[in-house]
Amino acid sequence: MNVLSTFKMAWRSIKGKRGRSVLTVLSIFIGIAAVMTIVSVMEGMKEYTRQQYAAMGSNKIDVSIYSWSYDENGNPTNQKDYFPILEEYCKSLGDMVVGVTPNARANGTVVYGTVNSANMESKYDEETYELISSPPQMYYGSSQYSKVNEHEIARGRDISYLDIEKYNQVAVLGSKAAEIFFGNVDPLGKNLQINGNNFQVIGIYKQKSTEGTKGYQQNQMDNVIILPYSARRLLGGEQMTAFQIKASSSENIKEVISRVGPYMKNFVPEGSGMVDVYSQSSWQEYENQYLTTIGLVLGGIAAISLIVGGIGIMNIMLVSVTERTKEIGIRRAIGARRSSIVAQFLIEAGMLCGMGGLVGIVVGTIGSLILGKLMYQLTIWPSIPVALGTLLFSIALGLLFGSYPASKASKLQPVEALRAE
Amino acid sequence: MLIETRNIFKIYDEGLESEVRALDDVSLTIDRGEFVAIIGQSGSGKSTLMNMLGCLDIPTRGDYILHGTNVKDLSDNELSRIRNKEIGFIFQQYNLIASLTVQENVELPLIYQGIDAEKRSRMAMEALEKMSIAEKAKSYPKQLSGGQQQRVAIARAISAKPSIIMADEPTGALDSKTGHDILGFLRQFHEEGTTVILITHDNGIAASADRRVRISDGKIVEDTGPVIKYPKAAEKKAAEAEANSHEEAAKAAQEAMKAAAKMEEELL
Ligand SMILES: Nc1ncnc2c1ncn2[C@@H]1O[C@H](COP(=O)(O)OP(=O)(O)OP(=O)(O)O)[C@@H](O)[C@H]1O
Ligand SMILES: [Mg+2]
Repeated sequence: MNVLSTFKMAWRSIKGKRGRSVLTVLSIFIGIAAVMTIVSVMEGMKEYTRQQYAAMGSNKIDVSIYSWSYDENGNPTNQKDYFPILEEYCKSLGDMVVGVTPNARANGTVVYGTVNSANMESKYDEETYELISSPPQMYYGSSQYSKVNEHEIARGRDISYLDIEKYNQVAVLGSKAAEIFFGNVDPLGKNLQINGNNFQVIGIYKQKSTEGTKGYQQNQMDNVIILPYSARRLLGGEQMTAFQIKASSSENIKEVISRVGPYMKNFVPEGSGMVDVYSQSSWQEYENQYLTTIGLVLGGIAAISLIVGGIGIMNIMLVSVTERTKEIGIRRAIGARRSSIVAQFLIEAGMLCGMGGLVGIVVGTIGSLILGKLMYQLTIWPSIPVALGTLLFSIALGLLFGSYPASKASKLQPVEALRAE
Repeated sequence: MLIETRNIFKIYDEGLESEVRALDDVSLTIDRGEFVAIIGQSGSGKSTLMNMLGCLDIPTRGDYILHGTNVKDLSDNELSRIRNKEIGFIFQQYNLIASLTVQENVELPLIYQGIDAEKRSRMAMEALEKMSIAEKAKSYPKQLSGGQQQRVAIARAISAKPSIIMADEPTGALDSKTGHDILGFLRQFHEEGTTVILITHDNGIAASADRRVRISDGKIVEDTGPVIKYPKAAEKKAAEAEANSHEEAAKAAQEAMKAAAKMEEELL
């Protein structure tokens, strides 16, 4: 039996019943488009959250030490310089950890020439109240700050271990902060006045935000001034109790968390406070699960519409078998095997659904573009595997729902079939 | 013997009040190269007999031996093969497939044989030319007159070069002149060695056959007995068919050997 001619003949009978074939395609494409839209929007969302977390710094682990017991002066009883302990321990974890840094804000006014951070105001979007710009954020960092936060030095140098050891008054600027204070002037080697103390600019980070980055994120990424954490002695501020570790991979996060937590507990006296170690990527996992659940619920609804469409296909194929009983009889009389008849009807159903699939892909693409824009302000193009999967799935649907009519057609007795009108 | 039925019955609704004995104890033998007319009134069982002989139907009781093989022992696929290669059917209502062109209709038996497109097209055109209707190859059945459609149907019946042709009232829907032409073609095939079984209720048409078998209420009531007018042609045709199937068997054997050799290669 010739495969090509079977396809040709199937195409002929689809064309022969044009109106009905169009209706069949319509009955199936809506469900297919719905499924495709859902799958591709879910995929797009997952990818988006992944990128968001990646931008925030993937594989990051937050270590916080809380206190709830205070001495007569009102100071926490478990106050201690935890960073050297943590840094030492992270070193012992070897490859699992990329870097560790305090996560502490430095307060103070920053002045260069006529530019004064005290005169800067935060600006918010009038509609969404999202932060657009603000005075630069100042952080204390270790020599690994840039590794943990995924900054790269564009010019100059990074904070070194010696800067911390020697209490050097130096600063590294994010690209936005450099622009705010220095404009067109080269910041390298210039002195910023922080609370009246000279801090020399030794390096500039590369710009991290891209065109699509939102205002508040850009602020977090590029509008920053990093000081060696030992500058705290000069500038003051509370004990550092929050730190960030960057694990070398997402698989290592759990391992690092399970080791750092119990270790740091040893240094917090019983009853005086607690250690909290957690990773933002567990939020990502949670969010992905949430998206998967939504996807399953919506997918279930779409699947029902697909089953309805599939039953429609089956119905139409059954009508077609009944209508073409005579044709089946003729074919059997001139030598068609049962399997040829099965193949003929299966291919016809598969082709009809495949066409439904193609229309579904087009509509599903439009659907995911619109839905992505409406719900998430994202441009979501369905991925090629999703489109291909949709096509294969629709063909499979045709084969599934076409198999009963096809087998029915093949079981007709040649004489009886020939007698039909 | 080419065709032999032994006491076959076809009984509908057996045991019920509505019981019909479409064939009632029919024993008939037909030899290679015969031209037999089966005649009888409407409802006498002619079509039922032809369907039986053409392997389209199975008897309620009795045996049908075709080419020395009891049809009972054949699988559905083997029956399909016989209908495909050994028998050409011609029906009263032409029975062309409306969604296919004339040429595609004629190619259909060849498609089911798995013959490649080029050879198929050549064989179909050959058959259409023989029926003097090749110029309509690209038309659809709807666009042809009844007589033209019947010529296409005959082209389809002979495209696979069967050794038996079974025609059920082939002229029933045609005027007498056109009917005459059709009969002429059947006689021509017969002269070329094809065994022809012609079903009709018209004694005039039956007269053009060498042998007449009359049937009434499912029983054979008259048989003028076998005549073989062109034994040489019949022998030649049989030899051709034999060679054909030998060729096929040889091809199958060759392929099997190739596959075996390949498997051996893969194993080593
Ligand atoms: N499927 C069936 N169910 C019941 N009875 C049937 C069936 N097929 C045929 N018959 C009966 O069998 C008998 C023989 O039918 P058949 O078609 O062989 O007649 P015929 O000689 O070909 O008649 P015509 O010349 O009208 O074509 C008729 O009485 C018919 O009613
Ligand atoms: Mg009849």
